[in-house]
Amino acid sequence: MSSRPSHTRHRQGLHLGLIVLALAVLTLAMALAVSIGEIHIPLVTTFKALSNALGVSEYPLDRIHESIIREYRLSRALVAACCGAGLALCGAILQALLRNPLAEPYVLGISAGASTGAVCIMVLGVGGGVVGLSLGAFLGALGAFAVVLALSRGASTSPNRIILAGVAGSQLFNALTAWAISTSASAEQVRGIMFWLLGNLGGARWPDVILALAVVIPGFVICLLFARALDAFTFGQDAAAALGIPVGAVRLILFAVTALMTATMVSMVGAIGFVGLVIPHAARFIVGTAHVRLLPASLLIGAIFMVLADIVSRVILPHQSLPIGVVTALVGAPVFAMILYRARPPL
Amino acid sequence: MSIQAQGVSWSTAGRLIVDNVSLAITPGETVGLLGPNGSGKSSLLRLLCGLRRVTEGVITFDDAPLERLNRRDVARRLALVEQNATTDADVTVLDVVRLGRTPWRSMLSGWCEADSAAVEQALAQVGMETRRYQSWHTLSGGERQRVHIARALAQQPRELLLDEPTNHLDIQHQLEILALVRRLSTTCVMALHDLNLAAMFCDQLVLLKEGRVAAAGTPESVLTCERIRDVYGVETVIERSPHHGCLHVHYLPRRETSLPRKETSPPA
Repeated sequence: MSSRPSHTRHRQGLHLGLIVLALAVLTLAMALAVSIGEIHIPLVTTFKALSNALGVSEYPLDRIHESIIREYRLSRALVAACCGAGLALCGAILQALLRNPLAEPYVLGISAGASTGAVCIMVLGVGGGVVGLSLGAFLGALGAFAVVLALSRGASTSPNRIILAGVAGSQLFNALTAWAISTSASAEQVRGIMFWLLGNLGGARWPDVILALAVVIPGFVICLLFARALDAFTFGQDAAAALGIPVGAVRLILFAVTALMTATMVSMVGAIGFVGLVIPHAARFIVGTAHVRLLPASLLIGAIFMVLADIVSRVILPHQSLPIGVVTALVGAPVFAMILYRARPPL
Repeated sequence: MSIQAQGVSWSTAGRLIVDNVSLAITPGETVGLLGPNGSGKSSLLRLLCGLRRVTEGVITFDDAPLERLNRRDVARRLALVEQNATTDADVTVLDVVRLGRTPWRSMLSGWCEADSAAVEQALAQVGMETRRYQSWHTLSGGERQRVHIARALAQQPRELLLDEPTNHLDIQHQLEILALVRRLSTTCVMALHDLNLAAMFCDQLVLLKEGRVAAAGTPESVLTCERIRDVYGVETVIERSPHHGCLHVHYLPRRETSLPRKETSPPA
């Protein structure tokens, strides 16, 4: 994964090329996601509608096609991309800060906490709307962070302990969610919530897109500013501090950014697991461990993965769509097992 | 004086670990911190580099109190080599040494000539220039320690703190690492276990017992039979080695175990 200084320029060119390639793949995946569905829309129509929407052209198109693209599928694909990008970024950040290859929002119970927060907002019926839900989810996510960090306190040397704390936190918050649902929700609410809890992009509209972009883009910029600080965590917190990193402040800021991104994603599409786990590992495989490259790579691969997972969730069963959380878990769980197996101490 | 500690104490979880320690490090010297397990060597090193905050007393760098300096300024003048620090990440030797430039780079500044020069020099000082692209996970314990020292040197520190740099190394690598540290012009403070190696490679020794300084000074003044009996509870004979000219500590077995055994007790 290393490269010689004399090849630095060459390497930078290569990485730029990779980014362009990833963006092209992402565009293609999103176009496919827009085309594929109950009503099939040709790819060409998709691109034409897109250029119409941007005001570049005025191709005459089927009204129904154009409105399906505009009102449903494009917003859905964009939210999927943001979601994958945000969750993958969260995974990369948490794995670096906690020095644990298994760390990600879902495994650590952050998603569960966010779900609890969002469900409470739903069943209590206070301050609805996508922002209200996100705020509730954010508070829930912060609560989950507090629980996990408190449970694993003083255990920075034992990487397994924080995972156990995450398991405990997940159980606790899932129980709270179930409690809130069973005591306060109507039968109709229960159906909707259960479907949402498993991860569902069906309700993604333009306000969601705007919120998702408004969270993921600044979140990414902040994380990127801390890329070098994250590298300094390679040998642990004390090593980072000895390299001049204000460890407490960096952790606080990045945990808050992670909680906010996770909460926003969960409030829009439910708790989607394993994206944050699998994608950073895949990205590391391609671009290495330096965070200045790893973070953009995670972002782009996460976006592509999620858009593709959304397509799979819609086409795998005829006439119905699977919750996207099921698709990501089917990919993620085996990878989780593999990393766990590789991470066991040598006998 | 480069680093000075005055009446420094530190307690954690209600236990006093470092108890009223005062010491002054002269620039350019290699100072060995000695003491039994749990005598506060590692804790004292962590206090000296500001990783833990003193409960009482004050630490100064060239008369500037450590508390007034920010992390980055501390990291620019003082580097720490931790005990057996390792990582799961798939990094190369060069990646690790480059981490040493962290305190010299701002959030947005790129990699500059001065950074490259410092890294090259550090690699050369530990003799790892040709191994720079090797993966961390393929290195032996001694090589990892050398890479950590190179990373610390890339910080271009005035003082280098090492926490038991020879821990878990075979004798060849212990000698190699200590000779390397000794050659550096940087002021070094290192925690050590081996009294003989400390006598061979250090200008000054500080002997700790239960968090307090039991003795400090040249190896000749610190290493005496009475003091070692007092601190470690071990009988010794100390003489100047005819082979290398430094003090050599001979450990004597306890009386009861040295008696010839007439009968071996049956296995329990």
